[in-house]
Amino acid sequence: MRKNVGLKIFAILVFAFLLIPLLIIIVTSFGTNPTIQFPIKGFTFEWYSKVFTNESFTDSFSLSLEVAFIATLLALVIGVPAAYSLARHEVFGRNWIKSFFLSPTIVPGLVVGYAMYQFIVIKFQFPIIQGLLLGHFLICLPYVIRVVGSTIEQLDFSIEEVSWTLGCTKLQSFSKVVLPNITSGIFASFMLAFINSFNNIPVSQFLSGPGVTMLPTSLMNYIEYNYDPSVSALSVILMLGTIILMFIIEKTLGLASIS
Amino acid sequence: MSYVELKDIRVSYDNKSNILKDLNLSIEKGELVSLLGPSGCGKTTTLRVIAGLIEPNDGEFLVDNKNLTKVPVHKREFGMVFQSYALFPHLTIKENVAFGLKLRKEKKAAIGKRVEDILAITGLEELGDRYPKQLSGGQRQRVALARALVIEPKLLLLDEPLSNLDAKLRLAMRIEIKRIQSQLGITSVFVTHDQEECFSISDRVAVMNKGVIEQFDTPEEIYKNPKTEFVARFIGFENFFELTLTEDWKYRAVDGTFFESTGKYDQAKRTGTIRPDDIEITASNESSTNNMVAGKIKVRTFLGKSYQYEVETPIGTLLANKADDVIYQVGDMVTLFIPAHKLIIV
Amino acid sequence: MTQRRIPYLILAPGLILLILFLVLPLISIIFPTFFNGGITFSNYTAFFLDEYNFGIFWRTIKVSLIATLICVVVGVPTAYYISQSPKKWRGLLMSITLFPLLTNSVVRSFAWITILGQDGIVNHALLTIGLISKPLTLLYTEFAIIIGSVYLFLPLMVITLVGILENIDSEIMEAAETLGANRLIAFVKVILPLSVPGIIVGSILVFTGSMTAYTTPQLLGGNRNIMLATFLYQNATALGNWQGASVIALIMIVATLIVMKLFNLIAGRLDKRGEVSA
Repeated sequence: MRKNVGLKIFAILVFAFLLIPLLIIIVTSFGTNPTIQFPIKGFTFEWYSKVFTNESFTDSFSLSLEVAFIATLLALVIGVPAAYSLARHEVFGRNWIKSFFLSPTIVPGLVVGYAMYQFIVIKFQFPIIQGLLLGHFLICLPYVIRVVGSTIEQLDFSIEEVSWTLGCTKLQSFSKVVLPNITSGIFASFMLAFINSFNNIPVSQFLSGPGVTMLPTSLMNYIEYNYDPSVSALSVILMLGTIILMFIIEKTLGLASIS
Repeated sequence: MSYVELKDIRVSYDNKSNILKDLNLSIEKGELVSLLGPSGCGKTTTLRVIAGLIEPNDGEFLVDNKNLTKVPVHKREFGMVFQSYALFPHLTIKENVAFGLKLRKEKKAAIGKRVEDILAITGLEELGDRYPKQLSGGQRQRVALARALVIEPKLLLLDEPLSNLDAKLRLAMRIEIKRIQSQLGITSVFVTHDQEECFSISDRVAVMNKGVIEQFDTPEEIYKNPKTEFVARFIGFENFFELTLTEDWKYRAVDGTFFESTGKYDQAKRTGTIRPDDIEITASNESSTNNMVAGKIKVRTFLGKSYQYEVETPIGTLLANKADDVIYQVGDMVTLFIPAHKLIIV
Repeated sequence: MTQRRIPYLILAPGLILLILFLVLPLISIIFPTFFNGGITFSNYTAFFLDEYNFGIFWRTIKVSLIATLICVVVGVPTAYYISQSPKKWRGLLMSITLFPLLTNSVVRSFAWITILGQDGIVNHALLTIGLISKPLTLLYTEFAIIIGSVYLFLPLMVITLVGILENIDSEIMEAAETLGANRLIAFVKVILPLSVPGIIVGSILVFTGSMTAYTTPQLLGGNRNIMLATFLYQNATALGNWQGASVIALIMIVATLIVMKLFNLIAGRLDKRGEVSA
């Protein structure tokens, strides 16, 4: 393997570009100065404890977790059977329907949030939390349809047919034969949908109110008025969470499956 | 009334062209019948109609005098072996085989015993706790077979089960399948495109072409007396030449030579054919009697047990095989003798 | 026959939810924008004719275009490097690339505040070395938004490209070299054309992402450098101009669709293999 030195240096610079900003954040989270500073003077964990005691952070964190979890679950319940039907059944306009299910990805997140806010919350007086859940459901659904859909397409159809000859009804076949063999796809789409819902800002921007704020929004609001290292500390905590998730995914599926 | 009857089956996906039309087939109990033909001939479609995976547009399907045409797949109780074996990747071999029995709510102990028995019959005793991905192709094939047989099905359906195995395994497995099938006496329908495989194990063969059964006979009968040009070509006949029927059952070729054949044929048939092995070559260049034609050797190829000669004659280019006791050269003039009892008219 | 209806029953819940909560809301806010006395495009023409508005629109396009270009130029060699790396390194490199993508965009944009601010690292370093005497205004500029967008979307471009490049037979390069091409020429004439589908898909993702992004312009652009998304938010909240916000919303959707179609057209021209769907 001949090495092209120029390319290697270039690539290293790029990776440095990607990682250094994050490393800087990590470092600043330990600084003693009341504003963010780099390099840091002194070393302290106080910003981390500030994060854990900041109510708006902890409340919005649990809300983000809840919403991501419920929205992803809903997306799975509706999306897995839909993905199956799209892959296996001869439905009129199959491709159109599939594109329709994937359409939320084309609409800018902010627009989705705005439209939903206007229509659901203002016009129909739904509580904001419901609008939030539905908005995040729209974010999660395309991941399920795409990932689970491709997993099903790669599954040998004859194992379903053979189960019918052995006496399974179509429903039994789905639960006994199809589901056990698409668990990796379901898990991968769960992870992808969950992460993207948790990190999502645009959709949640409009759909927030008193007591109903998602973590990224709450973080953004904080940054507007404060510039202290508790932002860095929270960022580090979030990054840690991401690393843990990536680790779990690697151990169960291999990261290749979600990239 | 045969055990299995397909009556006037028609299958069409777009109502413009038919995949199968007026298909009729009768199978006796305990028989192993093969559907033989090139890809696209409709043999797999026919099998899937029997299985219930395809609903025919017209026609009836009866087993043991019961009309099963509208009965859904999971109620037919037929065992099916797929080309890809379709083993359940998430279950062990034992669980795979027990699958059908568990659905029938059999008792656990009974299931265990029957699974053990069938694994013994198919030579899989040691592999019960393994998973499909740990098994070789031949082993997986046997699991697919065991799984289909253990439910004691009324029919066993096999869709090109040996196509994915290497040549040696194919030979061994087809004998296995025949052995098990005769031992259990189970009526079976076997789909394949391999003529030799089919002929070696079948009680009767249906040769199919473009959705039609061209001949349904024992392998011996098809081999000796193909009824159509397609069947003849499929089973290895070469040398097709035009003939006109004259009085008293003589045929005249385009160069005026007369041919006789010992078989009795429909008046409409006009093409003579013979296997390259059956043509006798001699060196003289006379063609004075019936069933003889002279020609010049154009190409010689070596087949191992014989040489094959491409001979240009007035009735067409003919292929003739001859053992290596006499070897001819390109350019030699020879006489080809076509014995009356080997000449077939299609 | 109920057998035929089953797929529709399965698909119905999803379809209904999408229609109720995506299509209807969108229609309900977009529809009114076409009324101004009668059915008219006047709201839209007015938008584009207004210098301020057009400036925002143009800035958004410009920034996104530059960001996309940078991502392509930087992303292609990087992706190539990764795809040529030995297997055991590839996993690690992909993880490094993937990690930023899975990290919150607030965190990623916020990092640049620290770097580009008046008191930030860059200014600090430049002042210390003595290259400048006064801190540069790097933050709250278009430049900052561009850097932030590149930082946000570069991993997406790289990952998309690695997928395509991995599928290119490594022997193709060797074949080209035996025919007389040196490494650079082989890359430009063989690898590059084959990776066009990936470049197109990646570009669509980067461009539409930058064009509709909210976080990055909000944090790094400030009030002087408004992009379409932040403008929408401003109109809807601070200004209370629902109509205006809805106009912007449709412009964003249409612009996204046009960009996708445009890129696919370019792809069709450049690559014989046909259309690419993102």
